[in-house]
Amino acid sequence: MTEKLVEISDVTKNYRRDEFSIKVLAGVSMDVTEGEFVALMGPSGSGKSTLLNLLAGIDRPTSGQIRVAGQSLGALNDSQLAGWRHRNIGFVFQFYHLIPVLTAFENLELPLTLTKLSRAQRRKKVDLALDVVGLADRKDHYPRQLSGGQEQRVAIARAIVTDPRLVLADEPTGDLDAASAQEILDLLEQLNEEFGKTIVMVTHDPRAAERAGRELHLDKGRLNSATDTALQG
Amino acid sequence: MFKLIRRNLLRNKRRTILTVLSIAIALILLSFLDLLLAAMSGVNSANANRLVVRHAISLTFSMPAAYEQRLAALEHVEGITIMNWFQGRYIDDRPENFFPRFGTDPDTFPDVFPELALSPGEIDAWRAERTAFIAGRALAEEKGWEIGDVITVEGDIYPVDIELTLRGVFTHPTDEAAERVLYFDWQYVEEALGNPGQINSFYVLLDSPDNMNETIAQAEAMFENSPDQVRAETEAAFFLSFLEMMGNIQFLFSAIGLAVIASIFFITVNTMAMASRERTTEVAVLRTLGFTRSRVLAIVLFESLAVGVLGAAIGLAVMPVVTGAISSVLATQGITFSELRLDDRTPTLVMGIGVFLGLAAGLVPALQAMNMKIVDGLRRVA
Repeated sequence: MTEKLVEISDVTKNYRRDEFSIKVLAGVSMDVTEGEFVALMGPSGSGKSTLLNLLAGIDRPTSGQIRVAGQSLGALNDSQLAGWRHRNIGFVFQFYHLIPVLTAFENLELPLTLTKLSRAQRRKKVDLALDVVGLADRKDHYPRQLSGGQEQRVAIARAIVTDPRLVLADEPTGDLDAASAQEILDLLEQLNEEFGKTIVMVTHDPRAAERAGRELHLDKGRLNSATDTALQG
Repeated sequence: MFKLIRRNLLRNKRRTILTVLSIAIALILLSFLDLLLAAMSGVNSANANRLVVRHAISLTFSMPAAYEQRLAALEHVEGITIMNWFQGRYIDDRPENFFPRFGTDPDTFPDVFPELALSPGEIDAWRAERTAFIAGRALAEEKGWEIGDVITVEGDIYPVDIELTLRGVFTHPTDEAAERVLYFDWQYVEEALGNPGQINSFYVLLDSPDNMNETIAQAEAMFENSPDQVRAETEAAFFLSFLEMMGNIQFLFSAIGLAVIASIFFITVNTMAMASRERTTEVAVLRTLGFTRSRVLAIVLFESLAVGVLGAAIGLAVMPVVTGAISSVLATQGITFSELRLDDRTPTLVMGIGVFLGLAAGLVPALQAMNMKIVDGLRRVA
């Protein structure tokens, strides 16, 4: 039986810009079941990245409830949220955001330094994650010595190295050429299918969205339920 | 985490090196000023029981020798001796041949300076011979003098050359600087000059420090209506009065020191703020990965602290060389401070300021990094 990993109920998010209050999300409700690969689509400013940030617990909703892996995020303070994020979320950014002064190996090791794992255990996990993304031979390379596609693969490895339940990807192919984008999408697909990772991916690209099991469309802060399309299975 | 801090420090090597060096140089300057002040004040060798009587106008003015008897008659006086700055030239004008040379009275000197250890035999030998002199151990060792050696000092302030024979070597229990002095019988010069009977200063030993203020008042009052009025002060205050000859140098040095600290503080703050601002997105990424606010605060603070401590360490390592070099330059100008050396408190002072600078400079950027909203940080570049 599939379990609801993400439950979002009636979430709104307003931003203040000077004297104006801008409503970015207006009563969004949705669920993601464990093992799903969901593509979140919509035009610029539709609120999809904001929704992803709320799911990651790096921003807080103005109102509404978000539960991930049974945990209500609103009940956690900043410090608890940081720990929760570390255990449950893997985040892939559009611009990779690897730490430039650290090698690929060290970038992956960074989140593991927050755990009680020994150095040997950390090394094992990092090597495994680098193997999954096919970059074991590049572990001593600094980000500047890698191509964009390779950087993003390292970023994906960093996102999964802690074995999170939910992987969130914000336009992961947005800064890549077509070939590299395909590689990244293949990798995400592999993570979902072979390793059972639940993935929520924000994308503009319909071809990228096609790789997901379900597409959700946001428009002006509202989820367009008519476009909640199960693409596979 | 320490790997990240270390790599961040090396991210912009030129900036880090320049910041570290600027802290090092500032700390060298600051502690040099501190050492200079301590050296000039000479308080290490001051005796709490001793007061110094000099001309009220300036140290360069002399008083009649007859004042000695009148001062000796004051109630709490246990001993009194004369002290005249001869200066002169030993061998040549090179800085290493410059050291204090005082004319005094061998009959009274040992009683007034009991902390300078001389054997009874040496005291007798000094008293028995008009051309005898005594020198501190540090000075004698430095010059390679042995008992019986004869030296010549050419007069400059006083138009007389003196030939002196070493008859005693004294030690001071705590202050090596007090051992870098030569004392000889002033009567030698006095006679050569035709007995002018003028004295630079009188060193007066009292029965107790408690009677210092009373005796100072009595001494000054005693000569109030004389043509040569006097100023009496504790020995420590007397050393400090050298500074007054050059204006309020203590204040000036302190002000310079504070200005140096303030400017280097702002430079370091700016550097750390720049470094932190450049990494706004990285801090947001760290927070996204699960780094707590306090951990982010610690990373930025440690990085800043490392800059401060590194600067202090380099400053400490280089300071003996710089101090020696500046001392040499000063000595060529006739300014010699034999105790101008690093002492036990210098490392504590320098490291303390380095730590303070590092932490204080990193505090604002660290708080900004800690309190930054993750989404704002990610939005900077994305």
